[in-house]
Amino acid sequence: MSKVCWRGNPMMRNLLVCGLVVLAWPVLSPAAGTGRIFVTNEGSDSVSVINGKTLEVEQTITIGKRPRGIGLSPDGKELYIAASEDNTIVVVDPGTLKVLRTFPAGSDPETFAVHPNGHIYISNEDDAKATVFDPASGKLIAEIPVGLEPEGVAISPDGSRVIVTSESTNMLHVIRVPEHDIVANIIVGARPRAAVFTRDGKFAYATSEISGEVKKVDMRQNKVVAVEKIADEKAKPKDVILSADEKTLYVAGGRADTVIVLDAATLKIKANIPVGKRVWGLARSKDGGRIYSTDGASNSVSAIDTAKNEVIKTIPVGELPWGIVIDD
Amino acid sequence: MDLRLRYTLITLLFCAGLPTTGFGATEIRLLYVGAEDDPAYLGVRQGLHEANLQGRFLGQIYIINVRPPGTLPAEAMSGVAAVMAAVNASELPGLAASAGGVPVFNLRAKEDALRAACTANVLHVIPSEAMLRDAVTQWQKVNPGAEVSANAWHGDFMKYAGRDLNKRFRAAHTQPMDDYAWAGWAAVKMTSDTIARLNDPNSATLLTFLRQELKFDGQKGAEMSFRGNGQLRQPLLLVQNGKITGEAPVRGVAGADDLDSLGNINPCSQEK
Repeated sequence: MSKVCWRGNPMMRNLLVCGLVVLAWPVLSPAAGTGRIFVTNEGSDSVSVINGKTLEVEQTITIGKRPRGIGLSPDGKELYIAASEDNTIVVVDPGTLKVLRTFPAGSDPETFAVHPNGHIYISNEDDAKATVFDPASGKLIAEIPVGLEPEGVAISPDGSRVIVTSESTNMLHVIRVPEHDIVANIIVGARPRAAVFTRDGKFAYATSEISGEVKKVDMRQNKVVAVEKIADEKAKPKDVILSADEKTLYVAGGRADTVIVLDAATLKIKANIPVGKRVWGLARSKDGGRIYSTDGASNSVSAIDTAKNEVIKTIPVGELPWGIVIDD
Repeated sequence: MDLRLRYTLITLLFCAGLPTTGFGATEIRLLYVGAEDDPAYLGVRQGLHEANLQGRFLGQIYIINVRPPGTLPAEAMSGVAAVMAAVNASELPGLAASAGGVPVFNLRAKEDALRAACTANVLHVIPSEAMLRDAVTQWQKVNPGAEVSANAWHGDFMKYAGRDLNKRFRAAHTQPMDDYAWAGWAAVKMTSDTIARLNDPNSATLLTFLRQELKFDGQKGAEMSFRGNGQLRQPLLLVQNGKITGEAPVRGVAGADDLDSLGNINPCSQEK
């Protein structure tokens, strides 16, 4: 029923049917996903599909050129992958792994985030733009000029704010939804890469790769309230995620080859977890028990036990693993 | 107002797209001293374009005047936040003296003696001879007999965000970015980054920040800052037969971030 509702059909046309399915769903407990972990391999134009239980690669699929950003629809029924060099978003069924459809997504789509309303917010690196697409129809909803080399995209849980980081302009652009205008430009350290909101939307954390910093931003005042300079000169902070209880922040350390564990309140470093080389993307399991890192230069994914802050398994994947998402 | 300047201003206002940026905006004036057919000037133009892209979010408009090499009459320095100089080693000291404390970016002269002079308002963006020499020496320790040259930049550099900068430059100027073009771009970029951060175009404040607090992203993967002698610390590229063959600091000889393993000579009294 649900498959018929979503697969290959524009969402609007099936609004009634889909509405019924959504209503029938238990509130706040979406169906458990496939349990798979999906990893984009930028260098080998492929996506590794990892079994979340065995932590073995069960399949490697080929879907487009230079796959980077990856994400799931709010209902978990569709997997979106940015094929940067094809300038498209590829929509894949996370269960059957079949490509459902592909739509043009502006020039050089890199990272994106999925809004609670299902729309996709994309950073178009070559165009100094953020674009908004409805993945059901492939229709462009909005285009927002931002700074140079837009990279990270984060959406507040209530959907009212979107942060786009522009790496070469050193800014967090705060975009209002649904107006799609910029309400603040927050200057941060050199080469801001990624951002994440707290569940209540009051704060966001952002990493700066070249200045080696993690910043905490008050999103009501659009102001930086805390900064931690990572002491390790090799650290080039990239992806950033929060623990399930939001007390801990995990930062991909890039060339430091570690995942850096920080206290989310004080930004003080609590631990450094050695992983593979040039750690880039991060994902957390829903229950918070595990995090996974893509280790770009090692062609592997590290599975980390968050209770022990140590790697429990290293999973070989394709070349230059980049983005990662868990369908749990 | 000469035609070129007027054209620049019109283009900027048009590109900014927002009338509010055109009118309540702070104008920041830069001066380029050198030949207009110098690749350094193309880099400066690229930097200017990017500075204005950033400026539209902050209400800042950058304009640039151009003068041929030589010392500057006082009126040329009026309201200038920074000077971008593509001049030779014999012309640089006179130019720096006539700039009256305004930061002067050296985009072209590689001579070590200019670094040893410890001129307070000169910032050498182009690598020194000593840096280039050390990069080659490091490379040869690991690859004996290899005949390489050390460069600040290369049009094929893809790593970090080199790909992005090269793509933008080539699209705008229909030629690859070289060392001088990179230096021109970098000088304007670090100026606009600093003014954005400080929200203050005062040249003295700018010079102090550049010398003491700069953490510059020159799209070569490392955080760059100035030495006490005014030389920009930066990674270098090793090029063999026209192709990139490595990066310095050379891994295995020096740490990837040990930028002072390259030509750190002539420390001056204001060394931080």
